[in-house]
Amino acid sequence: MSLPSLDREWLGADRCADGQRAATVSAGPALSASLLLSVLAITLGDPRVLFALSAANVALAACFRTDLRLVKHAARVLAWQTAVLGALYWLRFGLAEGTWPALRTSWQLFLAFTPGMIVMHGTRRADLERTLARALPHRAAFVLTVCLKFVPMLLAEIRTIYEAQVLRGARILPRDLARPRNWPDVIHCLVVPAVVRGLALAEHISLAARARDFGLHPRRTCWPGS
Amino acid sequence: MNRVPLKDSLFMGFCAVFLLVTKGAMRWHLGISGHAMFLTVFFLMLARGCVASRLAATVTGLLAGAGAVALGMGHGGPVLLLNFLLPGATIDAGARIAPGLFTSYARCALVGATAGATKFAASAAMDLMVGMDRAIIVQHALLESVAALLFGIAGGLCVPPVLRRLEAHGVIQARAGGA
Repeated sequence: MSLPSLDREWLGADRCADGQRAATVSAGPALSASLLLSVLAITLGDPRVLFALSAANVALAACFRTDLRLVKHAARVLAWQTAVLGALYWLRFGLAEGTWPALRTSWQLFLAFTPGMIVMHGTRRADLERTLARALPHRAAFVLTVCLKFVPMLLAEIRTIYEAQVLRGARILPRDLARPRNWPDVIHCLVVPAVVRGLALAEHISLAARARDFGLHPRRTCWPGS
Repeated sequence: MNRVPLKDSLFMGFCAVFLLVTKGAMRWHLGISGHAMFLTVFFLMLARGCVASRLAATVTGLLAGAGAVALGMGHGGPVLLLNFLLPGATIDAGARIAPGLFTSYARCALVGATAGATKFAASAAMDLMVGMDRAIIVQHALLESVAALLFGIAGGLCVPPVLRRLEAHGVIQARAGGA
């Protein structure tokens, strides 16, 4: 990704708040709610609780006016994860004993990640940073905010790398990974390019931040806003 | 964190977030003890190998551990922090003691094993808090740490080829000892 496109992303993150997808909830309560929902999903596996948490996630998505594309993406992730977990549980515990634990675990994992995804997509970066800066040093708050905000972008880049490498003939499809001799291909074709992208992204973000006088004053790291 | 360049801080943050995301995604409850140590050791050694800071792995572990505690991943509560912090500190110590750590498979395996073995302390601390008998604590922690040690070796062995490729591409500078 070039610096100008990163620049657009950087500015675009703030612009989204004034546009159609602006959240009506401020960052502090939203972060607390997403954290609570994730913790409950991880710690409680009761089906009734999971149904209640699913309803809470739908309410959260409605509150943040979540984009339909994000919902479709989440549904794809859930389907893929359920298929993988189902296969693993059936191999380990058999069809009768493995089906329900696989479905429940997949459901729990989905509910653990969805609230954070909804909140991260629907909150302005500056709001998030101001909230975190109340509890953390300014620089640490900036780093944490940027990491949380840019991880979906980095994941999308990794998906692009994966698809490109598969087209080039890399043996990294799920059926290829059943053979241990193909495992080194994952490191060479996916992990190394992904780390390179991560380092490049970190460099571009730090350059973009420095271009906006980040670190010029020891205490101010973000525009105060309204 | 203030002395570390912003780019390096961000990369450590990315490693911590990826560690949390992959660990979260691997919570499959398949009954294979210690498999999470593979990812922990891999990402912490990667952070230490890519960032020129003596405490890179510890800071990355601290960030990931704080996130894991906040999210309630695992059953240890605040003790969960030790699962990330101790391997990180071990890797930093290993990088300081062993010259050319990240260029040698054997040294990476050794440091990975040592980092994995720190699971003993985290497991024993948790059992002690619960009030288990001392003899059972030792046996249980030993069982946990042996599995974590093996996965730690596997995680450590994945690091040299990645760092070698990164050096070959000029993304990171070749550093003696990876320090």
